[in-house]
Amino acid sequence: MEHCVTKYGGLVWSIAQRYARDRSSAEDIVQETFTDLWKSAGRYDPSVATESTFIGMLARRRAIDFARKESRQPILEPLPDAESLPHVSPEPSAALRCESEDVRAALKQLPEETQRIFSLHFDEGMTHPEIVEKTGLPLGTVKTRLRRGLIDVRNILHRLEGVQPSLSSAR
Amino acid sequence: MSNQASIKRFEELEAGRILGDLDAAETAEWQELSAELGRGSDLSLELAAAAIETDFIQEQEVALPDDIAALVRREIPKFSSPEKSSATIIAPPVWQRLFQSPKAAWAIAALFAALFVAGFLTDGAKPSNPPELSSEEARDELLRKAGDLIESDFGGTEAYGGMSGKVVWSDALQEGYMTLTNLPANKPDKNQYQLWIVDPSRDEKPVDGGVFDIPSGKETAVIPIRNPLAVTKPAAFVITLEQPGGVVVSKQEVVVALAKAS
Repeated sequence: MEHCVTKYGGLVWSIAQRYARDRSSAEDIVQETFTDLWKSAGRYDPSVATESTFIGMLARRRAIDFARKESRQPILEPLPDAESLPHVSPEPSAALRCESEDVRAALKQLPEETQRIFSLHFDEGMTHPEIVEKTGLPLGTVKTRLRRGLIDVRNILHRLEGVQPSLSSAR
Repeated sequence: MSNQASIKRFEELEAGRILGDLDAAETAEWQELSAELGRGSDLSLELAAAAIETDFIQEQEVALPDDIAALVRREIPKFSSPEKSSATIIAPPVWQRLFQSPKAAWAIAALFAALFVAGFLTDGAKPSNPPELSSEEARDELLRKAGDLIESDFGGTEAYGGMSGKVVWSDALQEGYMTLTNLPANKPDKNQYQLWIVDPSRDEKPVDGGVFDIPSGKETAVIPIRNPLAVTKPAAFVITLEQPGGVVVSKQEVVVALAKAS
């Protein structure tokens, strides 16, 4: 655990800070994440995900759960009509052992507007309302672009790994 | 909606769940589609989100403050008796030794994970109630396995005086069921019943317990409680009649029944 705290403490702390409203909350997220890691290390399979992605996933789970509890007032916004999505296998493979360059390559295949929203959300840590204010896009559009963009990135990464060769990529 | 359309819609909602932006109506829709399709969490989408966020963050990573790192190091050894579930493969003393040798830790964790093949990660992605269990069977199973069961009787309000029912709930398992008798059938395109859980330890506002229908001709129905937020000390369970899909905050214009937890 000493190794994990030393090597991944910064990652977990950085994720926690994005979602927490204050230092105390971020501290709770960090503690809960490492507790989860302690409990679930036996589930870690390096053929499924890299160490950093696995730990990042645990931190995101805790952080988003925290943010959900804090908000308690979901914003209701109708989504735009459904657009065509890439074909999705009913049982997609869970494995996603991608490296940084794969992620960057996948993101570059997204439409420019989606790339911009991804950058604001994942890079600058903006919330949806902040992205709406920054871009002038409707909230529903921001949500849809993020959701479909995430699905597209997953599909592209699978294709890069040769898992789902038939999947179409981003529009 | 065709099956393919349902799968696509579920996947989009699942992406929203992973991004943390589902509203209450979408959460209810996610739950309905999850039960209908027999699908749960999508690990690959969650890993994709984590990979993206991790990749961006690594460029601007902030070091964990020393005081918090020290706190984590102090706290972790307190977990000397973890749950002896099949998911906890590495016993704590072994775990602690392993992490003194990081490379060995991950290698052995990987070995154990491989031995249990594919199992645990995908198990976590399945719905908590397997589709083959009926609500009645799932409720009975909860009655057998829960050690902290809360049971309470529903009483109908004036307009619903003919109904009766019981609610069972487990804090530890975050699972519960309502058994409702003589509750009038609703017309799902006009209105739906919605459960609210009052948990003052969490918030003064009731927590959504899920939208449900009572089909016509069914004297007694067993309804699973679907709470997207954790409930730890429920004080009461309230059923209201709401617009189709339910509401985020109930005006409680039509309160159907109430069960106070003792």
